[in-house]
Amino acid sequence: MNPSHLLQHMPEAVLQLDADGFIGYANPMATTLTGYPPQELLNGSRVLLYAGPEDSIRAEYEFGIAARTGQYTSEGWRLRKDGSRFWGELLISALRNDDGSTSAFTVLLRDTSARKEAEVELRKSEERFRIMVEGVSEYGIFLLDTTGHILTWNDGAARIKGYSPSEIIGKHFSTFYTTEDLQDGKPAREIRIAAETGKYEEEGWRVRKNGSVFWANIVITALLNEQNKLVGFSKVTRDLTDRRFNEETLRQSEERYRSLVEQVIDYGIFLMDEKGRIVSWNEGARRISGYGPDEIIGKYFSIFYPEEDLLNGKPAHELKVARAEGKYEEEGWRLRKDGSRFWASVLITAVFNNDGTLIGFSKVTRDLTERKESERALRDSFERYRRLAEELKLTNRELVEANGELEQFTSIVSHDLQEPIRSIKGFLQLIEMKLTEGATADLGTYIRKSIGAADRMRELIQNLLQYAQLGKSELAPQPVDLNALLNESLQNLREVIERSKAQITIENEVDSVPGDRVQLGQLIQNLLSNALKFTETEFPKIRIRIRRAGDEAHFSVSDNGIGISQGDLLKVFEIFRRLHTNKPYPGTGIGLAICKKIVDRHGGRIWPESEPGKGTTFHFTLNEAIQEKILTP
Amino acid sequence: MKTYRIILVENDEDEQFFMREAFEASGRFEVLAQASNGDELVTWLREHPGQLPDLILSDLNMPGMNGMELLHALRADARYAALPVVITSTSSTQSIIDRALAAGASWYRVKPETFISYGPFAETLYQELQARLAVG
Repeated sequence: MNPSHLLQHMPEAVLQLDADGFIGYANPMATTLTGYPPQELLNGSRVLLYAGPEDSIRAEYEFGIAARTGQYTSEGWRLRKDGSRFWGELLISALRNDDGSTSAFTVLLRDTSARKEAEVELRKSEERFRIMVEGVSEYGIFLLDTTGHILTWNDGAARIKGYSPSEIIGKHFSTFYTTEDLQDGKPAREIRIAAETGKYEEEGWRVRKNGSVFWANIVITALLNEQNKLVGFSKVTRDLTDRRFNEETLRQSEERYRSLVEQVIDYGIFLMDEKGRIVSWNEGARRISGYGPDEIIGKYFSIFYPEEDLLNGKPAHELKVARAEGKYEEEGWRLRKDGSRFWASVLITAVFNNDGTLIGFSKVTRDLTERKESERALRDSFERYRRLAEELKLTNRELVEANGELEQFTSIVSHDLQEPIRSIKGFLQLIEMKLTEGATADLGTYIRKSIGAADRMRELIQNLLQYAQLGKSELAPQPVDLNALLNESLQNLREVIERSKAQITIENEVDSVPGDRVQLGQLIQNLLSNALKFTETEFPKIRIRIRRAGDEAHFSVSDNGIGISQGDLLKVFEIFRRLHTNKPYPGTGIGLAICKKIVDRHGGRIWPESEPGKGTTFHFTLNEAIQEKILTP
Repeated sequence: MKTYRIILVENDEDEQFFMREAFEASGRFEVLAQASNGDELVTWLREHPGQLPDLILSDLNMPGMNGMELLHALRADARYAALPVVITSTSSTQSIIDRALAAGASWYRVKPETFISYGPFAETLYQELQARLAVG
């Protein structure tokens, strides 16, 4: 193919112009492009390649540059013959003579309208985008080059970060990071991640120009060209400080509360929904009940209640009360996971939302078992000690009594039993002396006195044994027929009664009393004998009365005898105590002591009432203490 | 030689008899009165206001007002509070002796083994009395 053929088929217009700018050659493509036929192009002006005759100034300027510099590329509107225009690229090359002067120009004209249009469209679109981006004040939006240097800066970025575009463009985007983040190499990591994955997004602290920090939401997007080559990054930054502050405050407060509640170990604290299903669970609840959160959340809180409470509908009742009154409080038994019981202090509080709608309940449970048990142990030990103290008191009283009796016994042995022996020994010595002297006159008297002393001694010993016998065995009370008892006593004393010509009256309104029949008989006989003995009148009058007084029987034995002075009333019951010298009122002084002991043994009281010279009444009751004992064992 | 006026308080008639015999035979004592218990003593003292004894010798165990009560009665009465009262008894039990001394007994003498031995008892009592009164 020859060169001329080549030019003829070039897809671009190729023209040759002389040094003055007139067209010497134009290929067919030049006609196609400009609309001018070849005959109009040949010798035509270079202005045909421009946008009309008035554009010749520009043509002259551009060809002038090309003549000086050798080449010039011009872009601009061209006018076709029909008046339509196209965007054409004109490449002007100057051909030189040997002397350097311009001999001719070769011109290449290319229709670049399509590209231009796209370019214009793009520019328009970019412009809109730029305006939009720059106008956005809520977001900081800017471009970074591949190394992270800032290329653009919008109003939002200026507003958020405080830098004007002139201050920041060209700087590295790490300017916005905190010292810690910088030490951590965070900026480099972020753009690396963005480059590798296309995007990096996070929320974090960023630094403003004035040094203050703000909570930022950032998105770094990798910008790739058509060859998928990284050309830079866009970065969008949003200031979340306000939102962040509110959220953070709320979150921190909730977190603090949650961790507080969760870490409480002495109290079981949990939330329930409005139906009583458990929705949260703390450590204390786990420790107290033995359930872990996984086992218990979602269950009804009635799981903690013993069967009887469930049968009574107690859980539902408690929620009802809490709902109606705001809270429900009590102490009661609850069940652990292992089925064991614990004594719980429980507070259920109804939880309402802002609208006043019930959304659930909180429940605070405390295990008081230990406290209760220590209280009970304390109480038990107190009771044990009290009981022990009571027993000690009783033992002590018994010991004091035993001691008193022992002392009494000492006194009895050293005086009452000693005296007859002294007498007997004294008289025997006297008898011996008299016999030595050969005198026998008084011997009979001494012997009689000795026998009398021996008799007194025997009587004392018998009485003492009788008295001691009374305290020996436990009393086994049997119903005693009082009428029969009285008759028997009178029968036993019949001889004495007849001799003293005593008049005895009986008023009895009680059939029987519980007691020891033998001892009660002895009691009545002793009192009767006493009454008979201390009566000086010719006709002793003795009255026995038994009256019912409540549940007990009240006995009294009255005489019209010599009476007892006020000061001696309490002495009458002392063993071997005699208020009167032997001669007129013989006796060992043990009768009333025995009476007292029998009454004591029967849980009763005995006391005398007397007016000296007028007579004495002995009163006694039975079974007061015994009845008490039966009622409160 | 000084003789002391004494009142004997003893309920046993025989004992009373031998005591009196021995005290009078000693030549050291003048038996001012005899009483069979505290009641009789108090009555006698009341009835003989000008005749205070130098010494009262009393048994402890007697019907009616006994030796202890006698001590209480005398010590509670200003007229007899300083009167020497010797308590005598068959008992040598310390607790009984202590009680008698606490009740105001001037001293305590265990009775002689038999009542025919009151001679030496009277002699000893005299010696003690002299020693005490000389000191007192």
